[in-house]
Amino acid sequence: MTFCTCRFTYFSLWQLQVINIVYCFNRSIALSGSSNNFISKGSCDLVGKQLNHRQLQFCRRNIDVMNSVKNGASLAVSECQHQFRHRRWNCTTVQFERSPVFGNSANGGTREAAFVHSISSAGVAYAVTRSCSEGNLGRKCGCDSKYNGRSEKGWKWAGCSDDIDFGIGFSKTFVDARERGRKSGSPTRVEMNLHNNNAGRMVVKKFMKLQCKCHGVSGSCNVKTCWRSLPNFRKVGEHIKEKFDGATEVELRLIGSRRVLVPRNEYFKPHTVYDLVYIDHSPNFCNADSDTGSLGTRGRVCNRTSQAIDGCELMCCGRGYITRQEVHVERCSCKFHWCCYVRCQNCRKRVEVSACK
Amino acid sequence: MAVILETLRLRSLLAFALLLVAILITFFVVGGKIAPAPTTATSHIANICVANLTKMDAILDPETCNRIDSIKDAESDPRQIRADQIVFTIRFPHQGLSMSRWFQFVATSIRLDLEHDPEFHYRKNADGSPPSLSFKATLAYRNKQGPDSHDWQSMYTSLQERPLVCEFVQSQSDSNDGYYNCEDIPFFEIGNVYYEEYLVNVRLPSLVKNNQIGKITDINFVEIHQNGGFTKVWFTLKTVVAPVSILILIWFAQRVKKLRRDSLLLEKALFCLGVVTAFMNYIRQGLFYGMLMSFWVIFAGEHLVDQPERNNLKSYWKQVGAIGFGCLSLLIFDLSERVFWNIRGKRAAIPTMSRARQLQYRGLIYRFEFLLVVTILCAGLTVVFFVISSVNEAQWKFGEEESTVEISSALFTGIYGMWNVYVFSLVILYAPSSAAPITDDGSDENERLELRSRTEVRVSAGETEESVVYQFTGKSARD
Repeated sequence: MTFCTCRFTYFSLWQLQVINIVYCFNRSIALSGSSNNFISKGSCDLVGKQLNHRQLQFCRRNIDVMNSVKNGASLAVSECQHQFRHRRWNCTTVQFERSPVFGNSANGGTREAAFVHSISSAGVAYAVTRSCSEGNLGRKCGCDSKYNGRSEKGWKWAGCSDDIDFGIGFSKTFVDARERGRKSGSPTRVEMNLHNNNAGRMVVKKFMKLQCKCHGVSGSCNVKTCWRSLPNFRKVGEHIKEKFDGATEVELRLIGSRRVLVPRNEYFKPHTVYDLVYIDHSPNFCNADSDTGSLGTRGRVCNRTSQAIDGCELMCCGRGYITRQEVHVERCSCKFHWCCYVRCQNCRKRVEVSACK
Repeated sequence: MAVILETLRLRSLLAFALLLVAILITFFVVGGKIAPAPTTATSHIANICVANLTKMDAILDPETCNRIDSIKDAESDPRQIRADQIVFTIRFPHQGLSMSRWFQFVATSIRLDLEHDPEFHYRKNADGSPPSLSFKATLAYRNKQGPDSHDWQSMYTSLQERPLVCEFVQSQSDSNDGYYNCEDIPFFEIGNVYYEEYLVNVRLPSLVKNNQIGKITDINFVEIHQNGGFTKVWFTLKTVVAPVSILILIWFAQRVKKLRRDSLLLEKALFCLGVVTAFMNYIRQGLFYGMLMSFWVIFAGEHLVDQPERNNLKSYWKQVGAIGFGCLSLLIFDLSERVFWNIRGKRAAIPTMSRARQLQYRGLIYRFEFLLVVTILCAGLTVVFFVISSVNEAQWKFGEEESTVEISSALFTGIYGMWNVYVFSLVILYAPSSAAPITDDGSDENERLELRSRTEVRVSAGETEESVVYQFTGKSARD
């Protein structure tokens, strides 16, 4: 996936730092024509407008990890779009020139904002962990003495700790810095975002696969060694989507001297660290409305035969739809090897496409 | 034959027991607090390199090769990359670290990540067996520092074929979508870690082979080795234990030599047990257990009170042979049970015997039961530790405070310490005694009897008066 222009993700994404970096960073790169990576501290300054002071500092100190942050953000966007491809709000990113298209109204406390925060935070944790395993970060990650006091000597004595801890720690420091660095803004929103960021990371951690191997005389389990490996990110996306469907509406209450998010409806079960929380109701996303940050569903492709949310009835909010015949050229009778070499024929296929009025 | 155990005063015996417990605790603490976990696993994700068409078999280093981010990129690459050009490269350890000879061994496994593609999916063979994955793997090594630093040298190259077992997990929202979970494939093991860095190149042949495995996105690689710290602690323990055990053995041997008679089979067995324990290590653990069992057969046999003298290895060839054969646990169970019943039967008959015989039997029973209880305790603990270390995944649960005690290391050093302490306390306690039998006032004897009565099921009345006499007559009767 390549992004050549600076885009802001529809709805509340514009406030979400990591995604801003992807889009704006790529624009800067496209303009300057240099390679598509964070290579020097200067790269942090290029995206500096999108970062707050804390994040800028962090970016400069961890320039080698910033590419993983960027990859994590792309991963999060594509997963978000995959999970919401059949819904009225489909996690689209929209073109933007100078300023965020959707002003403060989109600085939302809705379920969608909760999802986006959660998946982005998860995406960054995931990508950083992955990068560790690929060896791109060298001795950072589990062997970083800043994180667990282990050095080269420590590695020889006891090995390194899990990369996931570094990934999660990094995501926490970087993504949450946005919220913590806020000078203004409602404390409820800050708490909500921090909670959802954390929920996303927890899902990655929860789905890490624990695998063990026994060694010993003729395979006996004299010594058992366990390790964790990353799950498929689709699994993470699906789980966060489930949490989106069951998200809890909350409000901030003062309990003792601490401010705590509690369910607005007191009969509801209190949310756990894995659950998503929101404070504002979502708009219906039927019509474009810059106040709510909705793009509307005009022109969206829908399924004529479905009764669900991807069906034309619901998707088009009763405005009706237009069906037309189109000819699609598709790959067919492909000869495939496990990679790369795909020889296909082109088949023309006549299909019916419905789109909302 | 009186042994030290019988001539030791209760107070000294207790002090000795306390010393043993303290030594045992030290072993556990060294393992739990000083040593790290016995092994470490590091996960790697293979980097994807594109081989140069003119040098297809060259060793590729992810740092310097022509690298692409993903297989997807290869498909859209304008250079028209072919499948046989793709090389999965893994360098271990990660950059900036190096392997150490203290690591002892390296074991690895790989796991494939497959992408769901409706056109090219993973398919099983017609008979339902998993498709086979064939790959060509090269292992290379290098040293980066010192006088013998050099560039990558090939170590092994091998063409392998392994079954690829994967399971499709359907997406909840879309029946046409999902992902695969594939099982780990054992890859290779190296018995010593001689070099600083290692590099693995994996190539997957295409065209004829690998056409049922679906679309690969990643190769995950796991490298496991013994922790350097654990090796060091383990070596240190052995270095400390070995001279101590040799000294004890020499002491025992001299003690037996001083006697004006040939050494008994039991003494020989005990000596052998000590020798085997002194040289026991990881690999020879089986030898130790085998020797322990043989010793037990002899020990039990020599304490069978209703049969003539044996003192000859030939009378035990059956048992020892059976042990060598592997039926260890069954045999010991059978023998313990039989001997135990034999002894208990005798004990019921004791009051009807002459005093001298009575006391001889009591001595035998005491010696036997003491050892039986200790052995069963040790064996039981070994089994318990073994089970704990096999099911111990507590440290792998998330969200819990990281444990400051390395349980598995503590179990290793602890069991090692326990058997050493066991064997050498046997050697000491069952060494022939030169001390005069206890003739003190009765108070010590009372205590001593209390201790004994805990192991004895029945204590007949009037024993207090008899016990002093027992010490005398028992000795003389045996002499």
